[in-house]
Amino acid sequence: MADITLTVNGAARTGSPEARKTLADFLRDDLDLTGTHVGCEHGVCGACTVIVDGRAVRSCLMLAVQAAGSEVTTVEGLAPDGELGPLQQAMWDSHSFQCGFCTPGFVMQATAFLSGHPDAGEQEIREALSGNICRCTGYQSIIDGVLLAAERNREVRP
Amino acid sequence: MTAIAAERYTGASIKRSEDPRILTGAGRYVDDIKLPGMLHAAFVRSPMAHARVLSVDVSEARALPGVVAVLTGAELEAMTIPGPDALMALMGWAGPMPQFTLLATDKVRLVGDPVAVVVAESRYLAEDGCELVEVEYEDLPPVVDAAFALDPGSPPLFANLGDNIARLHSRSEFGDVAATFAGADRVMDFRIDVHRHQNVPMEGRGCVASWDTDAGVLTMHAATQSVHVTKIAVAMRLGLDQDKVRVLAGDIGGSFGLKIGASREELAVAAASRAVGRPVKWVEDRGENLTASGQAREESFDVRAAVSDDGDLLGLDVKMVVDTGAYPGMGAMVPDIVSAMFPGPYQLAALGFESTAVTTNKATYVAYRGPWASETFVRERVLNLVAADLGLDPVEIRLRNVALRTDPPAMMITGRPLVGVTTKESLERVAELVDLPAFRRRQEQARAQGRYLGIGVATFIEAAPGPRAPGGPSGPMGLESMRLRLEEDGIVALFTGQMPHGQSHQTTLAQIAADEFGVPFSQVRVVIGDSDVVPFGLTGGSRSATMTGGVALHGARQLKAKVLDFAAHLMEASAQDLLISDGNVWVRGDPASAIPVSEIAGRAAAGSFGDDVDAVLQVEATFDGGEGGWSGGTHCAIVEIDAETGIVKVERYVAVEDCGALINPAVVEGQIRGGIAQGIGAVLLERSAYAEDGSFQSATFMDYLMPTACDVPRIEIEHLETVPLDADVNFRGVGEGGMIVAPPTVVNAIEDALSPFGVRIYEQHLPPARILELITGAR
Repeated sequence: MADITLTVNGAARTGSPEARKTLADFLRDDLDLTGTHVGCEHGVCGACTVIVDGRAVRSCLMLAVQAAGSEVTTVEGLAPDGELGPLQQAMWDSHSFQCGFCTPGFVMQATAFLSGHPDAGEQEIREALSGNICRCTGYQSIIDGVLLAAERNREVRP
Repeated sequence: MTAIAAERYTGASIKRSEDPRILTGAGRYVDDIKLPGMLHAAFVRSPMAHARVLSVDVSEARALPGVVAVLTGAELEAMTIPGPDALMALMGWAGPMPQFTLLATDKVRLVGDPVAVVVAESRYLAEDGCELVEVEYEDLPPVVDAAFALDPGSPPLFANLGDNIARLHSRSEFGDVAATFAGADRVMDFRIDVHRHQNVPMEGRGCVASWDTDAGVLTMHAATQSVHVTKIAVAMRLGLDQDKVRVLAGDIGGSFGLKIGASREELAVAAASRAVGRPVKWVEDRGENLTASGQAREESFDVRAAVSDDGDLLGLDVKMVVDTGAYPGMGAMVPDIVSAMFPGPYQLAALGFESTAVTTNKATYVAYRGPWASETFVRERVLNLVAADLGLDPVEIRLRNVALRTDPPAMMITGRPLVGVTTKESLERVAELVDLPAFRRRQEQARAQGRYLGIGVATFIEAAPGPRAPGGPSGPMGLESMRLRLEEDGIVALFTGQMPHGQSHQTTLAQIAADEFGVPFSQVRVVIGDSDVVPFGLTGGSRSATMTGGVALHGARQLKAKVLDFAAHLMEASAQDLLISDGNVWVRGDPASAIPVSEIAGRAAAGSFGDDVDAVLQVEATFDGGEGGWSGGTHCAIVEIDAETGIVKVERYVAVEDCGALINPAVVEGQIRGGIAQGIGAVLLERSAYAEDGSFQSATFMDYLMPTACDVPRIEIEHLETVPLDADVNFRGVGEGGMIVAPPTVVNAIEDALSPFGVRIYEQHLPPARILELITGAR
């Protein structure tokens, strides 16, 4: 057990996870942030994606102790007041998802990608999201949601 | 809730009420449940495909701090009721049934077969405990393929069967098979194989079982397609009365047929909770899911086709072998549906059909989105193979053979009327959309440059729900039930046994009821997932659009009549003069008379009335499917194949579908696209692979390849809504069609692309290595 302190969704959190505990399990079990989903536990499906210090990270492949001192954003951090963020709103408008299990991972991956590539087109978005697996949708509605968010963002930019 | 302005909600792509919670991480999936005192289970699983279990030593595991209990197969057998798989029992299995226990006792029958369950304070500790369980095995020869299983000398998986034949279907003949074949210009023989692949929902199986010792009640938080089927399965195996089992379900991360009832592991977890007197959670990891949750298809077909020189497909004679894996259930029953559906939308004069289901040392065959889909694959492949031999265009041979819409409707040779089927229209529309002559010119130019383009079409029909049987008393899927109630706050509550896991029922059913009753969409609440509260039901078989949509419509109509009768008493008006719209009851022609339905409901609850007034604003509705009908359509894929690497790129995909009236077009199209993506994955990527010794070779996502956003093209969809059959309910199911028809569509396109090499394809799984083999083999 090691005491760690990290910032999660803007708030300082502490915990004493076993060294072997993954960040995903720490977020879900110790911090009750169950929005982060565990889909494969070997880093392929992307359902557990969170943002650590500005970068999209597979929280099933990172140990909680490695996140000590870091700033972590989970899907719960994108709509802190219950109001959907712009990407979430665009995905709602686009009927992006079905069962919802892969959703937090796509939302976090797309959030991280769009922040660095606000002008991305369809093919770039497809490639950026190709490390996340969705079994329900055939992806088109997800891509459309990301494209719509990017377009709206361009409209509001000066 | 966002206000939604629409003339009618039904038919519009209303935004889903499920989305705000799933987009913010507020969904509640089974792994999100945390109960006080909850323990965690992990399973010790067999590394061998087929072996005798000589001993199981759990002493070290039991001694590990944090481990609360370790239960072996024998211990669990002693605390549960042996018996058949609940689903098979419900569906009426005939013939000798293989006898088996929840966990392996005398022998293991597949890699991943559970042998013992460890219950501990955390999943980490439970897995530590599994490491300490010592199992001694004695090898038995593995039965890894159907050919060996058919050999009477293969070692039987189940002693009480005596061989590896799970079920034999005696031969059925529809029409005059002998005369049809004798009169044919030519008879062609094919052997066509469909490979083993699997559901792979992003959330695997899982449950939290919680035994209440004082009440003698087991509460199961489940990921299931039906809380009631799970309840029945748990009650049967634990020897409990059904009213002592309560099954709850929240959000479910996909299923595609996998999560029907309760699996052996889930039943073992329920028994373990009762044994330790504390809640126990088990959520399978991806390795368990791929290895042991179940797999689908793996069927082979010997097909003889009777054909005229002009391209009439006169008759088929089919011998099917299905590999049901280790613990046969669904797989042994699927040939019945395959046989019934084999003619599809075509006018066959005769069909002969027989089948054998065998047991092998592989994962158990489970239902997967369109479990009978292989009939469509085989039939649509045969049509192309025949067309190629006769020099006919694939669209032309289909138009030549498809049943036309006539009155009375044409009958499938297997007995069902093809009422309202628009296959011909969908074929013609697809040919128009892709401009077939223009494609052929482009294809020819590309070939001249060494590029291989191909086009494939395939058609399907889906009994969703299927036609009303001639003279039949009720619809084809039995009855669907729903309770509807006007709550005191004016909410119209629908209680349904549907257990959506991506199908958006909380949106679509609310659309229908809001329109029919006359309240805003946001004033309808769809209640699911509690076996104590909702009527019996099951989400599957493309059932819900017609059956549940229909009962929502008729139920809302009945509830409205009841509310108006009561309001008539309050408002001193005749019920015939009253309307409900936008959540208000008012006297026709007098908008000032409007009273919110919440006020009506409040007065019904608060007041006391004479016997002549019915103030219980609730109805129990049922619906039998009305006139029913078929879903169906034609799909078309255009592919390009790199003959150097074998990589197939799906360049364009067009679907023309007829599922009757659309409740929510965005939801319908999501179902179609999702099914197509699975079909593309099945052909180009996915395979549940076993080595010769029965070891499983695709237990991770690095080995079992799933389609990604770069593999699935933009899918173009058009809807035909040609033939209303019922006065009110013309919504038809659309859940399975994409997965049924995409595999033959893509394979037909691949064969067309490879036609310069003279390639003929008799299989479904075509990864790059296999494409290269086919090209080399043909050269």
